[in-house]
Amino acid sequence: MVIVEIIDRPIDPFPSDDGRLEQGSELIFNGRVRSKENGQEIKELEYEQYEGMAESELKRIAIETANIYPISDLFCKHRVGTVAVGETSLHVVIWSKHRNEGLEAITFFISELKKRVPIWKWAILKDGTKIPSECRYH
Amino acid sequence: MIKVKLKCFSQVKYALGTGEVILEIEIGATTTELEEMVRDRADGRLDGVGLSVAINQQYVKGDVVLHDGDEVVLIPPVQGG
Repeated sequence: MVIVEIIDRPIDPFPSDDGRLEQGSELIFNGRVRSKENGQEIKELEYEQYEGMAESELKRIAIETANIYPISDLFCKHRVGTVAVGETSLHVVIWSKHRNEGLEAITFFISELKKRVPIWKWAILKDGTKIPSECRYH
Repeated sequence: MIKVKLKCFSQVKYALGTGEVILEIEIGATTTELEEMVRDRADGRLDGVGLSVAINQQYVKGDVVLHDGDEVVLIPPVQGG
């Protein structure tokens, strides 16, 4: 199963599950906002999305991932709007029978997300100045 | 002439100073021509910025003819995560 959500509020993580008897691997990834962007102290990041396409592209990548790797479930929440330093902006959970396919799947999923999902970051500096983030990670 | 809606995000929004603009273009104009028009308006502020293109919420590749009423986004490098 694939679930993706883009939300404009703090992320409520997907619940763990002790009742899964066939999946030996539960991978949980939380991407968090660092205190610096290109060496500059920031107050927060503002995530801007192309509404509609961002969620549809995220879902497309999740389905691709589940088709390529033998995983059981992929759950993802991505925040938009203002996210304070230290808070989670991206939450991913992948369940699989063994860890290797889960680790490969989560690497692929996040890499593709960072290449394709139309979401951008604006850095809000300590003095309140808002500038497009130059931070890119693939 | 036809009209297309250009939605602007991140560096494109910063460069043009707007989140959305309606552009009048020639019938048969393409995404490449639209990108050139936008780069001209940006007056150098998009130099070195690679732009992908989405039409009506779908990525497109190559030089695509635009149609009246299309919603177009010139997508600067994305930064999700």
